[in-house]
Amino acid sequence: MAPIRAAAAQIGATVDPIGANAAQLRANAAPIGANAALSSGEGADRSVITAERTGGSGNMPAATGKAPDPEHRHMEDNERKLRLAVVGCGAVAAIHHLPALSLSQSAEAVVLVDADPGRARDLAARFGVPETATDIKSLPGRVDAAIVALPNSLHAPVSIDLLRQGIHVLVEKPMALNVPECDAMIAAAEAGRAVLAVGLEFRFFDSSLFVRNLLRDGLLGKIQRFEMHQGVIPRWPFATDFLLKKETAGGGVLADFGVHVLDLLLWWLGDWTDLEYRDDAQGGIESDCELLLALRSGDTGTVTGTVEISRTRNLANTCLFEGERASLEVGIWDPDPAIRLLLADREVALDGRARRTEGSGVDFLEAFVRQIDDFTAAIREGREPHVPGREGRRSQALIEECYARRQPLELPWSVVPGGRT
Amino acid sequence: MSLTGRTVLITGATGFIGGRLAERLALEHGAHVRALVRNVAAASRLVRFPVTVIRGDVTHPGDLATAAQGCDFVFHCAYGTSGSQKHRAWINTEGTRRLLEAARNAKAKRAVCLSTLMVYGQTGDGDLDETAPRRRFGNPYSDSKLEAERLALDFSRSGALPVAVIQPTAVYGPWGGVWTEAVLRSLKAGRQILINGGDGMANPVYVDDLVSAMLLAAVKDEAVGEAFLICGEEAITWREMFGRFEKMLGDERRTVDMTPAEALDYWRGWKKEQPRLIGEGLRILKGEREIRERVQNTREGIWLRELASTILPESMQQKIKTRMAGGGRPPAPRSRELPIHPLPPKMIGFFQAKTRVRIDKAKRLLGYQPAFDFAMGMDLTERWARWANLL
Repeated sequence: MAPIRAAAAQIGATVDPIGANAAQLRANAAPIGANAALSSGEGADRSVITAERTGGSGNMPAATGKAPDPEHRHMEDNERKLRLAVVGCGAVAAIHHLPALSLSQSAEAVVLVDADPGRARDLAARFGVPETATDIKSLPGRVDAAIVALPNSLHAPVSIDLLRQGIHVLVEKPMALNVPECDAMIAAAEAGRAVLAVGLEFRFFDSSLFVRNLLRDGLLGKIQRFEMHQGVIPRWPFATDFLLKKETAGGGVLADFGVHVLDLLLWWLGDWTDLEYRDDAQGGIESDCELLLALRSGDTGTVTGTVEISRTRNLANTCLFEGERASLEVGIWDPDPAIRLLLADREVALDGRARRTEGSGVDFLEAFVRQIDDFTAAIREGREPHVPGREGRRSQALIEECYARRQPLELPWSVVPGGRT
Repeated sequence: MSLTGRTVLITGATGFIGGRLAERLALEHGAHVRALVRNVAAASRLVRFPVTVIRGDVTHPGDLATAAQGCDFVFHCAYGTSGSQKHRAWINTEGTRRLLEAARNAKAKRAVCLSTLMVYGQTGDGDLDETAPRRRFGNPYSDSKLEAERLALDFSRSGALPVAVIQPTAVYGPWGGVWTEAVLRSLKAGRQILINGGDGMANPVYVDDLVSAMLLAAVKDEAVGEAFLICGEEAITWREMFGRFEKMLGDERRTVDMTPAEALDYWRGWKKEQPRLIGEGLRILKGEREIRERVQNTREGIWLRELASTILPESMQQKIKTRMAGGGRPPAPRSRELPIHPLPPKMIGFFQAKTRVRIDKAKRLLGYQPAFDFAMGMDLTERWARWANLL
């Protein structure tokens, strides 16, 4: 079989003119008590082969327009934006959360918290945030919710503290260092009657929802195997070195990058039933790892596949699903990846991208805006967020099990004929 | 002297050579490894091992004092990799000076500084050993490394701190930059010129052999105040070196033979073809009517047009108008063959030289013996390159 990239047809070429107005519809929707999510989605639901969102739990909520009409950004008094604290002013706050908040019509940052007051003040000046603080003590009463973007080891203690006081929390990934911490966070959210959302923003990519629905609806036939390769040499401008230590990061690449792709896999297919795990840590934390993973697929079956994750190599960054009827290859680590559909025993593939509204793909900024809007909608509507604590716990449990079953990863060049390693 | 249980500071430990050194010090010698790290994102490979990362800059005396505190040994592998050439050269010299001062203040037992073969400048045919005169090669990297090496040996001679200097040749191996990954990337993108069929000497050394030499230089008394050339055992030509990488990439020919004169001609022709800023600017304006009109209507544009209309003859004014409005030359047809990478004149000389680097001094004083022949070293390198998704 020689797959030919002949068909460059776009999956989801949108024909719906209403889709373009989704942003306005969204902006006009009354946020409190109204289903803002659905109002923006109506147009998108009518687009061709695009990611549809027909009710049911776990579906992704609202799309927002990428360039909202400024006229619609003024809210009525009773539709005031949610007041947010951003706790932790490192790179992810500066690069993703604060730019997304400045675009969001549903929430605004009113205070930035960081142990380093200079860092908080710098970002406050850059993003026009009125106040800064060096700890979270002053937050109750001042804010409705918080984005917790601290070093991983502080996710649980700080989130628990805030949740217990009724402050809703969107916590960066990985949710915590281990499952008991996740459980304590979920319990704190219940006790404080607060929303706990986990920052796994890859779920807000249109491609992620498209794959999820395609698999859920069984369009590929029975899935026979999957194969995921995720590898990026990072160029992230870390503010601190927390990610280099087990105590503060919780692990290496599996905890850092792996949480994203494993969350997607579990969401796409189902819970894990068995696994083998290998990584290259030798007294430190892993930079490369491989999983052999059995996941629940369909109502009764399981499907086995491999996952390779690296932060020292640039890999293909794709996930391939081989089904009885067709194979699907989707780009990962990319908000608007190529998606390739190859029918079994056919030479010609369909290559394209998932689209919700005409012409515009999702970028990281848009994914973070969607995440914030979903978080605030969950708070206002008293519903679960798109990625609730329970779901964050699920990938965390898998990661923990991987570390528990760890075997050494054999690196092909460290085996020398003659026995020297 | 032994490295076991000792506290060792490494600069440049996120890099190719420093990274392998950190790994072996931690795993084989049970040393307490400290790494001075500027870029956290680059440390993924390093933190696989039990090492202590100290965030800091090799030119920052405060960072160096913290990092060197209580250290028995210091290995200096860092060099300037970003910023202007001038800034990189400054990091090479000033970083070395400040690090050695910090090591001296911390009463370290020894420092091993990584230098380069390039401190001998453009070498000639025949044997080369450490008695050869040091000369400038003429680029900021080589010349600043020469200065850093002098400075390090002076430090040792003055009794301030025992220092040994290692002068590696073309270092290759897993995670290799210049003589591994860059070669593969270059051969993927275009063809490499082999001067005189590539009969110049490459003097490659596998990274593990170099690291072994550095470890010996840290513990052997005879190493103090000395510089050592470190190379592999065999005589390997550039044809063999590039040929081996070429083979990793498949059957396609990715090298082209030229005499030095042909290579120089090719370089000059290539230089001439490179668009100049003003010429390229005019070509862009030619193609884009709207941009052209906007530029023409700036204050300077109007002034230039008025100037032209007063001082240039009518015929020339017409010619300019026609040329600006008309289409440019048709683009050259795209060749299916890989382009040839031009070699700057200095590199033509570098690849032409049949220099045979001698390692007798390292063998005699350090007990250095290369453990990896070229075939094995390259075989391991290929395995790594395939794993790293570079082939």
